[in-house]
Amino acid sequence: MSTQLTIPKLQMSTTEGTLTEWLVDDGELVEEGQPIYCLETDKSVQEIEAPESGRLTQKAAAGETYPVGTEIGEITSE
Amino acid sequence: MEAAKKSKDTAIEDDTLREIYRQISRIHEVDKAIKAGLSSGKFQFTYWPMTGQEAIPAAIAPLVTKDDYMVTIYRGIHDQVAKGVPLKGLFAEALGRVDGVNKGKGGSPHISDPASGSMLTTAIVGAGTPIANGLALASKMRGTKAVTIVNFGDGATSIGAVHEAMNLAGLWKLPVIFMCQNNQMGEYTRIPDYTASKDFASRAAGYGFKGVQLDGNDPVAFHNGMKSIIEDVRNGNGPVFVEAMTVRLSLHAGVGDTNHLTKEELAAAKEAWPVPRTRALLLEQGICSEAELAAIDDAAKAEVKEAVEYALASAVTGEDEMLLDVYADPTVVPRRGQRVKRAEEAPHTGEKREMAMFEAIQDAQELALELDESVFFLGEDIGEEAGGVFKCFKGMQGKWGERVRPTPIAEQAIIGAATGAALVGMRPVAEIMFCDFVGVCLDQIVNHAAKQRYMSGGATHVPLTIRTIAGGGIGGFGAQHSQSTEALLLHNPGLKIVYPSTPTEAKGLLLSCIFDDDPCIQFESMMLTYALREEVPLGDYRIPLGVAKVKRAGSDISVITYGWQVMHCLAAAEELAKEGIDVEVIDLRTLLPLDYERIFTSVEKTGRALIVHAATEFCGLGAEIASTINEEMFTRLKAPAARFGAAYAPIAYSKTIETAQMPHAGSIAARVRELLK
Repeated sequence: MSTQLTIPKLQMSTTEGTLTEWLVDDGELVEEGQPIYCLETDKSVQEIEAPESGRLTQKAAAGETYPVGTEIGEITSE
Repeated sequence: MEAAKKSKDTAIEDDTLREIYRQISRIHEVDKAIKAGLSSGKFQFTYWPMTGQEAIPAAIAPLVTKDDYMVTIYRGIHDQVAKGVPLKGLFAEALGRVDGVNKGKGGSPHISDPASGSMLTTAIVGAGTPIANGLALASKMRGTKAVTIVNFGDGATSIGAVHEAMNLAGLWKLPVIFMCQNNQMGEYTRIPDYTASKDFASRAAGYGFKGVQLDGNDPVAFHNGMKSIIEDVRNGNGPVFVEAMTVRLSLHAGVGDTNHLTKEELAAAKEAWPVPRTRALLLEQGICSEAELAAIDDAAKAEVKEAVEYALASAVTGEDEMLLDVYADPTVVPRRGQRVKRAEEAPHTGEKREMAMFEAIQDAQELALELDESVFFLGEDIGEEAGGVFKCFKGMQGKWGERVRPTPIAEQAIIGAATGAALVGMRPVAEIMFCDFVGVCLDQIVNHAAKQRYMSGGATHVPLTIRTIAGGGIGGFGAQHSQSTEALLLHNPGLKIVYPSTPTEAKGLLLSCIFDDDPCIQFESMMLTYALREEVPLGDYRIPLGVAKVKRAGSDISVITYGWQVMHCLAAAEELAKEGIDVEVIDLRTLLPLDYERIFTSVEKTGRALIVHAATEFCGLGAEIASTINEEMFTRLKAPAARFGAAYAPIAYSKTIETAQMPHAGSIAARVRELLK
C-alpha cells in the first residue's frame, strides 16, 4: 500500500508551498510521525511528519514552490 | 456495595480519572489524525484545532448522558468526541462523505448527532447560546432532568447573542450551562486586545445567576467542580456560567503551533497541556501502569484508524443530494418550470363567527394549544397584562400558563429559544413584533432555523413558526416599522413564508404553519389586522401551504399579489372593469412553496401578467415570478410579464410620500393599462 504526499493546505489562506528541504533521503525507511520534509507557507516554516511508516519515494525537488495538492512523493509500506 | 477505589492523593475515583484519560486520549488521537491527514495532503478541509482544550469535555463526559444536550462551535471536535458522536460518522462528515453523520452536507463545523445528544454545531460565534436556551426550555417544560451544555470560546463573550441568551436563561431559570472555554484567544486576537473585562465568570452575576472560574486544564479539579454544578442545574436551580481556563496550543485554523504566544508562554502552556499531564498523573498515583495506559492509547489509535479508513472509503456526497433536506418535501424547492399541483382546502361547512384578523389569529393560537401539547408561544409583551402588542394573546397567559411566555425585548433570544425547542420536537410559535426587526435576529432565522435541516443532512429539523407584522400602508410608522421584508427572507433556502390577506386565511395558514415540520414565517398586514372583518370558520380549519387562490376571475390579465395589496388589486380591478378590462386577481397566500401551477394556469388563459407587492420592487418576488413567466411561457404571452412594487427608498413618514411610494389601486390600474396598450 502506498500513501501519496501532496502539498498540504495548512491554513485557510494557503494556495502554495515551498518544499525547502527533504529531511529523509529518497528510498529511505521512515517511521510514522517522523519529520520528512520542511514546508514554507505564508512566511512560516514547518516540519511535515510522515503520515505512515514505509519507504519514501521523493517525486519533487527541494527549493521549489508548488501549488496545494501537487504530489511531491509517496510512502510505500513494506 | 464496595466503595469505589480512590487513590489517596487524588480527589477523584480511580475509574473516573481513567475514563477521563480515555476520552482525552481519543480526542488527542482524533486531533493527530486530522493534522496528519491535512499535512500529508490526504485531507483538504479547514480545521479549527482544539489542541490544549481536551480535558474540558473529557472531564464532563462521565457526568452526562446522551439524554443531556450539547451545543458547540466549529472548534468543537473535542466536544463531539467526548459526547459520543461516532468517530466513523464524524470523520466521514469532516470529509464531506455520504456516510457522515450529516450525509456530508454540514461538515465538521456543523455536526448534529441527536442520538448522542450533540444537537447543533454553529460556525457563527456565540450563536449557539440562544439555541441552547431552547433545548433547556424544552427539558424544563417537559419536566425531564436533562441538562444542556453550550460550549463557546472566550471570543464569543463579546457578541450580542450571548448577552441576550444569558439574560433569558437567568430570567427563566433554565437548566443550561454556559461553558466558556477560555483559551485566551478570540480567533487571531488575544485578551486584552478585545475586552477590558478581567474575567468572564463575574458577568453572570449581572444576569442574576452564578458564574464560576475553573481550571480547564486540570481534569480532577475541573471534573469535581463540574460535578456539583451539573447536579445543581439538573435540580432546577437555574443556569451557571463556567469559565474554563485553558490555552489554545494551535493556530486559529490549520496545522501548526499558535503564533499568538511567546516562546516562553508556549513552553509553559505545553507544560500544562492536559494530555501528557493526565497520563503522568495516572502513573504517579499508581492508578494505571504504563502498559494499561499504552492499551488505552492503542485502543484510541485503532478506533481512529478504523474511522479514517471508513471515511476515506465512503463516497463523496453527490449532486443527487443537492436539493434534498432543504425542506422535508423536496418539491417545495422552487425550480423553474416545475409545476406542482397541491390540493386546495376543502370548503368549510361548519360554524363560522365574525372576526377581525387579530381575533382569527388568537382563535388559531388557542386551537393549536388545545390540539398539541408541544405547542407554545413566546414573544414580547404577550403576557396577561398586555395580551400582545397586536392583541392576539388576550387572556391567554392566565389560561395557558407557561405555554404563553412573554420575553425580554431580545429577538435573537426569542428565535434561538424557539429553534432549540423545535430541534427536540416542540412546536414553538414566536411573535416578532414588526417584520423590520428580523434584522436583529436574521442570523438566528437564516443561519440556524432555516439551514439546520440541510446542515444536519436531515438528522434534525426545526418546526418553528414566526409571526410578524408588516406595518406599511397605514402611514405614520416611519422607515423602521413599515417595510415588507419578505424578499430578504425568501432569499434564504429553508424557510416557508405565508402572507395572508383575510382573517380566514390568517387562521388557516397559521395552523398549517404551526403543524408543518419546516420553519415557517407568517407575515401579517397591519393594514388588515383590525380593519377587515369577515365570517371565519370555527374549529380546526387549515389552508394547505403552497396553494394560491383566484380572488377575482378575469380574462385580460393576471394580477398576482398577496397581503394587503390583494385589497388594492381588487379595487383596481373594479375600476378597470368599468373600462372593459377584465382582470383576474390571484392571491398567492403562500410565497414559498410558490404555486407556479396556479400562476401558469391563469397566465395561460390571460396571456398577460403583473405581479404586485408592497415590498421594494428591485430584487423583489415580483421580479422572480415575472422572469419565470417570461422564460417559461414566452410564446404564449401577449405582452412581457411585469412587476410592480414599492419605490426604491425607505418608507417615508410623510403620508403623501408613503401613499405614492407603495402600489395602490390607482397606480396599479395605471400599470395594467400600460400593459394592455
